Amino acid sequence: MRRDKRQGFSRWRAAWIAATLVAAGSLLVVASDNRPERVPSYVSWTPETIAAASAGDAFRGMLLAKHCEHCHGAEGFSAVGATPNLAGVNRLAIWKELEDFRSHKRRSPVMEPIAGSLSSRDVADVVAYYAKVPVFEDLQDNRSFPQPRPDQKRSAMASLLVSFGDGERGIPPCQSCHGPVAYKIGVPSLANQNADYVLRQLEAFANGSRSNDINMPMRTISILLSEEERHALAGYYGSGLGLDTGSSR
Amino acid sequence: MNWRKLRTFLLTVLVLCLIPATRYYQIDEPLMRLLKSPRAVDPLSLHLAGEFVESNLGTEQGSDGSVTVRMIAQQYLFVPHCILVPAGVPVHLRITSADAVHSLNFIGTKYNVKVVPGTISEAQLQFPEAGDFKTACTEFCGAGHYAMRSKLKVVPRDQFPVLGAQERGTCAAR
Repeated sequence: MRRDKRQGFSRWRAAWIAATLVAAGSLLVVASDNRPERVPSYVSWTPETIAAASAGDAFRGMLLAKHCEHCHGAEGFSAVGATPNLAGVNRLAIWKELEDFRSHKRRSPVMEPIAGSLSSRDVADVVAYYAKVPVFEDLQDNRSFPQPRPDQKRSAMASLLVSFGDGERGIPPCQSCHGPVAYKIGVPSLANQNADYVLRQLEAFANGSRSNDINMPMRTISILLSEEERHALAGYYGSGLGLDTGSSR
Repeated sequence: MNWRKLRTFLLTVLVLCLIPATRYYQIDEPLMRLLKSPRAVDPLSLHLAGEFVESNLGTEQGSDGSVTVRMIAQQYLFVPHCILVPAGVPVHLRITSADAVHSLNFIGTKYNVKVVPGTISEAQLQFPEAGDFKTACTEFCGAGHYAMRSKLKVVPRDQFPVLGAQERGTCAAR
């Protein structure tokens, strides 16, 4: 009797295993038929997203931002050029980057775990705080901003690209999205950004190691820029030549 | 009423009638045709799923040899930035906008495609000869409008790469 039961059981088990294998196989076939869709970022600027990202409490954010001070500076200006300045950056821009770090769409061994430890409320609060941090000069702070100006040739090259772009190559002017002329939604103002950070991001976009720009504008533009133009643009923004109306905050 | 006055009056009426009619047939009617089309897409979530995810942009070659080009127009870029098509083959263009109204003009050819957010603009194009063309946005779309240009590369039919079902052809720098 027992033996029969066991035999029956094993037969059922065999049937189950076979069914599972068939199901898994068919799933694999279906998966290989589907195109692997590359999604740059899970953020989509719907009115609900914007409302959630703008509903932060800046005072609570100020307390949370004590964790950020070590790298991003007590006044939102970092001491190391490779670390971005956060003071006065459009809140939606920092919000999107933190969300992308949380969903591992933007890679950084430092920022991914930190952003992952924040709740969505924490993220909204922190970005509300940094958008309100003033950007005026402070000689007692050990910030690395502003860096020395690039030479005359590079400055001229950069200011042409910033204000006019290059229509011949299809490069739009930087100021039409990064300010001060216009701010596209979720786009950071670069007026107070470090040269080294801007350069590293342009290079990361160009070589594909950063790919979280929605509909790939920066991956397209950074490839069109030459090596010297990238350095020139980074130097332009890093030396404080970029302007900011603050209207995006 | 003398003849001169009557003539002026009639001409004025005629001109006043013509202005809205021109506007209707050149601007409103094509726009309304696009807006009423059922092929609606969400311009805010093109990158998340559906036809216009970034890995699906570019030239697609069907198993029957048909060629489809998918593009996104956005402030202030066309993506992909350089389209690759074979010469002498009908090309089916499908383009949508991620933000404002744009217009894709293939400079030096007869084609101009209006792109309205929320709809997919379709066009049948054919380029008889190989060559490099430039494209430009011809609908004012914002501060960087005048620099919104891209490229079109028409290659001879035998030089067009054989694309797999998963591959998308493009000549944009990578």
